[in-house]
Amino acid sequence: MNAPPRKLSLEEWDGRYDQLRRDGLREPAYGGPLRRHVVRENDFRLQQLRFDNSPAALRLWNFLLTENERLHQARAAGHKIVGTMKDLGTVPVMAYALPGVRAFYPDGAWWTPCLMECSDKLLQQAERSGIDASFCPVRAMLPAFENGRHFPRPDLLVCSAGAICDDFSTIAQRLEHLGYPIFWWEIPRRRHPDFGEIACPLPGNLAAPKTQVDCVRAELQRVGQALAELAGENLDDDCLAAGIRAANQVRQRLDSLRRLVYSAPAAPLPALEMLVAEMLAIHFCSDRDETIAVLDDLLAEVQSRARRGQFVLGPQAARIFWVNPVADLRAMNLLEELGGRLCGSDFMFTHALDLIPENLPPLEALARAALADPMIGPASDRAARIVRECQAGRAEAVVVSRIPGASHCAREGEIILEMVRRQAGIPAIELEIPPVSDAMRPSLASRLQALVETAQARRSH
Amino acid sequence: MICAGIDAGSRSIKAVLFDTERKEVLASGLADQGVAQERLAADLFEKLLRKAGLDRPRISGVIATGYGRHAIHFADTTVTEITCHARGVHWLAPDARTIVEIGGQDSKVISLEDGGRVRDFAMNDRCAAGTGRFLEMVASRLEMSWEKLAELGRQSNKPALISNVCVVFAETEIIGLLADGQPLPDVVAGVQNAIATRVAALAGRFVSPPVYFTGGVALLAGMARALEEVLACPVRVAPRPQFTGALGAALSAAAPTAPAACSL
Repeated sequence: MNAPPRKLSLEEWDGRYDQLRRDGLREPAYGGPLRRHVVRENDFRLQQLRFDNSPAALRLWNFLLTENERLHQARAAGHKIVGTMKDLGTVPVMAYALPGVRAFYPDGAWWTPCLMECSDKLLQQAERSGIDASFCPVRAMLPAFENGRHFPRPDLLVCSAGAICDDFSTIAQRLEHLGYPIFWWEIPRRRHPDFGEIACPLPGNLAAPKTQVDCVRAELQRVGQALAELAGENLDDDCLAAGIRAANQVRQRLDSLRRLVYSAPAAPLPALEMLVAEMLAIHFCSDRDETIAVLDDLLAEVQSRARRGQFVLGPQAARIFWVNPVADLRAMNLLEELGGRLCGSDFMFTHALDLIPENLPPLEALARAALADPMIGPASDRAARIVRECQAGRAEAVVVSRIPGASHCAREGEIILEMVRRQAGIPAIELEIPPVSDAMRPSLASRLQALVETAQARRSH
Repeated sequence: MICAGIDAGSRSIKAVLFDTERKEVLASGLADQGVAQERLAADLFEKLLRKAGLDRPRISGVIATGYGRHAIHFADTTVTEITCHARGVHWLAPDARTIVEIGGQDSKVISLEDGGRVRDFAMNDRCAAGTGRFLEMVASRLEMSWEKLAELGRQSNKPALISNVCVVFAETEIIGLLADGQPLPDVVAGVQNAIATRVAALAGRFVSPPVYFTGGVALLAGMARALEEVLACPVRVAPRPQFTGALGAALSAAAPTAPAACSL
């Protein structure tokens, strides 16, 4: 079962899966060959991807690709389903603190056009609802709500308002007008404390004025009441503290995984699997306990590879820090095909990777964690963290991938590039990656290859 | 040792044979691009070998660059245009610190460190407004050659303002300007300024002099002047600008530290 690390096409995984089964592979209930997601769910993009060959990666992919199934099963079992929109990692922590409640991330539908290679026509349907291509691909969420073919209709929809992307706000408002009531909570734009204001430290070496923390805490209290009413349970401090401890278990595992993979002399796990694994931090892919098990498997695999000195890419690969998740998963494969590897990442939710303080009253801790969201503060705060992590991870170059239509990254890319060039002294490029990037592949490949060449050429001087 | 560089661009294929001991270009040539890219490149390569009195075994290495580089299978490996233009221009002009390259379908700004190493670069991504394609469209619409276009641009005293940033919309705008009686030279100069402005936006803040201008569009009189105005610094046209990519590819084939092969 312990084959040397390799990246496999879907076709190669068919054979690998049969072999693993013959060798006695034990899988969770959602296990099975990757191919079935193409056959049953029309996830055609899988045929263009290359996957890590470990059973741990197989489990990760199956976990990701069965989320909708899991939600439908939860609904059938009488669990309450909460859609947490535009919240990368705070409200789900609260929701999972309650028994019988599942939180999911409807915004995650932005990957559906990529996975289904637009065969689902979600983007075109969104256009008919007035949300055209000038908006982020997260607009796929609108028709996904309407056609009910993806996730079940949530019992409660929670969405943050205030310091969030304009385009997301528009999409969410449109959703509400289409007949999906939303419980809104306010998140203010984070600012640095003024002189004389009481400053509260936030995770990620940030700070905010106490007034902002108080405001968010009050808002989260309202959210907590709504969740408790839905669950018919009391969401008290003990309950929340237990939820925070469990969320931190996920974050600790992700931290260990990131440290191991990004600091290794060569890449023990491919970039694509790292992106998917990190995404689990946002809402635990609708099963917090299983997330922990999936990450434990991945960690064990990476530790074993590191011990054996076996890697998916050689040590000569250029060390690339990647900013923002990609709308087309194929882009992460492309980086490696062109001689790059990940040595760090900021997929927009670094605050969901930082531990939530356990020494504070739970709502205070959650408010501080929410305010550390890189998307709600100045782009320079985000850029400063990227520079720090580039330096810690010995990054040789930075890629900022832009999401077409996404208003949060309309200008911040320039700020990040400028700060990286000036303070880290390494080359940086910005790429726009649409949900299916095949037509742009030559141009994307040229720029990524040039970045890798530039990074490698700088070594010899 | 003799090395070859082939730059398979979107409009033309350029090739260079370079003698690393004598440090000189033995032969160079250009052919129009077409569907059968590899055959066109191979024909050009053979033509250069004949011109230089060489046969294939004398060539120690061949590197392909340019948009169509992956189609040139007889090359030993591929290197991007960024690296190749940097090497080519640095070899011709060691003092270069910034390179502006405008090709048929893309434009690049490359920042160089001492020794010609690439410090950073920027390329256009989804828009053709800062590329030779814009000029091609104008030349085709006005039914004139590039040379004639350049000549006209030089005659302008008051370049027109082309406000559209999209080539397709700009075409309509140009027709409108001509219909309104704007002199043709002013419209052409306006197009050159529009291209230069797009490239300057790409350059952002990393323009350090001396700036060298390369790529096929650099041959158009008036373009360097337009760039000088928007970049607010002198812009020198690289010697034989359409060949710097191919030269850089030949130099990369010769250099022991040539970047690793691309796996595409």
